[in-house]
Amino acid sequence: MKEDKETNRILTQVDHNDGMTVPDGYFAQFAARMEELIPESITPPAPAVRTTWQKIRPYVYMAAMFAGIWCMMKMFDLMRPSSPVPGAMLAEAISDDSFMSDYYFNTLNENELLDNLFEEGYTPADIINE
Amino acid sequence: MAAENNIKEDTGLTERLRDPATCRAAFSDVIARYSQPLYWQIRRMVQRHEDADDLLQNTFMKAWSSIDTFRGEARLGTWLYKIAINESLTFLEKERKRLNISIDDEARPLIEAIEADPFTDGDEIKKRLREAIATLPEKQRLVFNMRYYDEMKYEDMSRILGTSVGALKASYHLAVKKIEQYFDEAD
Repeated sequence: MKEDKETNRILTQVDHNDGMTVPDGYFAQFAARMEELIPESITPPAPAVRTTWQKIRPYVYMAAMFAGIWCMMKMFDLMRPSSPVPGAMLAEAISDDSFMSDYYFNTLNENELLDNLFEEGYTPADIINE
Repeated sequence: MAAENNIKEDTGLTERLRDPATCRAAFSDVIARYSQPLYWQIRRMVQRHEDADDLLQNTFMKAWSSIDTFRGEARLGTWLYKIAINESLTFLEKERKRLNISIDDEARPLIEAIEADPFTDGDEIKKRLREAIATLPEKQRLVFNMRYYDEMKYEDMSRILGTSVGALKASYHLAVKKIEQYFDEAD
């Protein structure tokens, strides 16, 4: 190999020799050892057997993912501030004729009546005195 | 003793490795041909003979276990060098973790190993050069060893290390400068 121009005097002195040695007969012993370690023939890798769990695992993961999304949506729904009158209670009240008559229609009619009286020039004092 | 740059393609050997009937015998030839250059490459990285011996054995065992993946597109020598270098770097990383030393201080155990190495010719200059090389960063050490001791071509080094020829030349130049500086400071 052509010497690199950077090679300094130290590198020239050692002349590409690192001074390292090995025990006597090391490479012959190493080759013999490897002969013992390496099997005589290539054994083909055993075909991979998939367990039941490995087969169903993607479906289980997918189901778990959907369950997680459902739980998350449910949780958000529960965390949402509820209305002052619960829905079930309101539905029950509306379906009750007496409730509507006593509390809703009557109030509505009374308000309409009072409005009409005011429009015709009555004052609250007139209404009370009458 | 110097490891020869043995990245010569033996197409016959590669063909025999691919044939299940001759693969085993061909692998024995691979061991005979490459055990020395790979040993020196590993030894220069890890310094201790015992560690180099273990890593060389691991290199050939890994090569054998994945011989069916070696299709011959890459040169046989390049493939083996890659395995040996990966083994060496992994070993050094494990040693750093085991000894709890930082990457900046990785030269210390290597220099201690050089000082205590029983397998040397006793030449003081060569020992000092080994110590100077041990202070280089891992990649620079690899490049320097392959270029200076193995006298490997930059093109072959490029195939093994996956680095451009220009970068390798720059790395080698920098390594030589650092070694010079090491000796200047020591004198």
